[in-house]
Amino acid sequence: MVYMVIAYALVWAGLFAYLAFIALRIRAVRTELAAVEELVREHEARQE
Amino acid sequence: MAVINKTGAPLQEAAAPVRRPSLPLASLLLGALAFAGMMISIWAIFLYAPTDAIEGLSQRIFYFHVPVAWLAMLSFVIVALGGAIYLWREDERWDWLALAAAEAGAIFTTLTLVTGSLWGRATWGTWWTWDARLTTSLILWFLYIAYLMLRSYLGKTSTSARAGAVLAILGVIDVPIIYESVNWWRTLHPAAEIGTPGALPPAVVLVLMLSLISFTLFYCVLLIQLYQLVRLQHLTSRLRARLQVVD
Amino acid sequence: MSTLSTLRLFCSQVLAILGKDIRYELRSKQTWLGMGLFALLVFVIFNFAFDLRVENRAAVAPGALWVAFVFASLLGLGRTIAAEREGGSLDRLLLCPVDRRAIYLAKLLGNLLFIGIVELVALPIFAALFSVPLFSGELFPIVLLGTLGVAIIGTLFSAMTAATRARELLLPLLVFPLIVPVVIAAVRATGALMITAPDEPPWLGLLAAFDVIFLSLALLTFSYVIEE
Repeated sequence: MVYMVIAYALVWAGLFAYLAFIALRIRAVRTELAAVEELVREHEARQE
Repeated sequence: MAVINKTGAPLQEAAAPVRRPSLPLASLLLGALAFAGMMISIWAIFLYAPTDAIEGLSQRIFYFHVPVAWLAMLSFVIVALGGAIYLWREDERWDWLALAAAEAGAIFTTLTLVTGSLWGRATWGTWWTWDARLTTSLILWFLYIAYLMLRSYLGKTSTSARAGAVLAILGVIDVPIIYESVNWWRTLHPAAEIGTPGALPPAVVLVLMLSLISFTLFYCVLLIQLYQLVRLQHLTSRLRARLQVVD
Repeated sequence: MSTLSTLRLFCSQVLAILGKDIRYELRSKQTWLGMGLFALLVFVIFNFAFDLRVENRAAVAPGALWVAFVFASLLGLGRTIAAEREGGSLDRLLLCPVDRRAIYLAKLLGNLLFIGIVELVALPIFAALFSVPLFSGELFPIVLLGTLGVAIIGTLFSAMTAATRARELLLPLLVFPLIVPVVIAAVRATGALMITAPDEPPWLGLLAAFDVIFLSLALLTFSYVIEE
């Protein structure tokens, strides 16, 4: 009984924490990408 | 590396495909389906499925353990297939898929080992036996970790993608061999043999199928998200590298 | 070009690279001296770790032998491509109009040769330290095929890890999981020489089969690993 509860709790908590973690990472990368794009645009503007 | 050398295409072009809604409709729909499936399978696992006469409540770990283990193995096949197609077609999107599947697979293999261990503790009174299935899962876990470490050490290069593909192809052929050889190795120790589950009652099969389907849906959602993550990471680092080359 | 002359060219390429490697290794003796000493040290450590007695000797000895061989092999294997890379000769080798498979086979044969020499020296010492009879000629095919299996995977992956910062760490992590079947088969085949057990699968044949599978896969994929 105890083992079953532990197993289910671990799997659920693990999977959802992981999903949340991925979402956070995606958001961080998006921010970074936006920053880099901004740099690119600045660079292009300077060249013209 | 090759991408940087490809001059000519303006920088803006590389950035263009990034502009997309953060959660596309298909992904959202899949997520909703997976969530509904999960809810139904939780109900089925705890309230609908009959309690096992011998193993008792801990037998219900089975409904979790089997789908997770199935996805751990499916993941490795996806990694190897993605790698093989990458080597054949030189299309890096397949490599992104492989990398995403490797990460998901590492998580699912870890969960397989943990749930399997808990089930073993509850059923056989031991956390671990060196049975073929357990040993192979452990080796699979090591392969995932080795794959991820190799990829992270080699960076976001085509060398890294090719090396990963080769490792995954070797691994996917090696894992069944490992299973068989551990089986032969252990034939002298019948005590470690797990009794194969005999004829399962139909309710158990139904709940297991439900659980399998909803876990696979969840896995698809996870994989799509991971794919997006890997893709964005690669696009960012490429854009950054180009910027440095231009400067 | 006809098939025969292609084959002859291929063989001469393999031999040329092999000859170069042998000369290089003979000039710098550290690698294989180190491997041999390492194997001996593993025997000594095993002797302490397992408190060898007459009754457990047959169970421990094959394992000790193969742990020593596998670990010592990895020491040498890690240097296969890395030495070329450090010397800057890898690029030159890749620029030559040589089949990549020829490079792989030459490296594999070189590794097999040097590991083989180390093992030939280590085997009598092992027999003396563990006081097991140095079994008849039957041990040689087992050692040869087992070492070949380790070297096939090791050579392939040393090309991958040579480019990384942490190759000493990464190579065992990649190689150990994949050579599990080879190690199992080699240990069981060696053990079967000491105690004959009934109903054993034909380990030597399986070992040969694993080697063939791994070798064909390695030959197919090596060109992807080495390209820059």
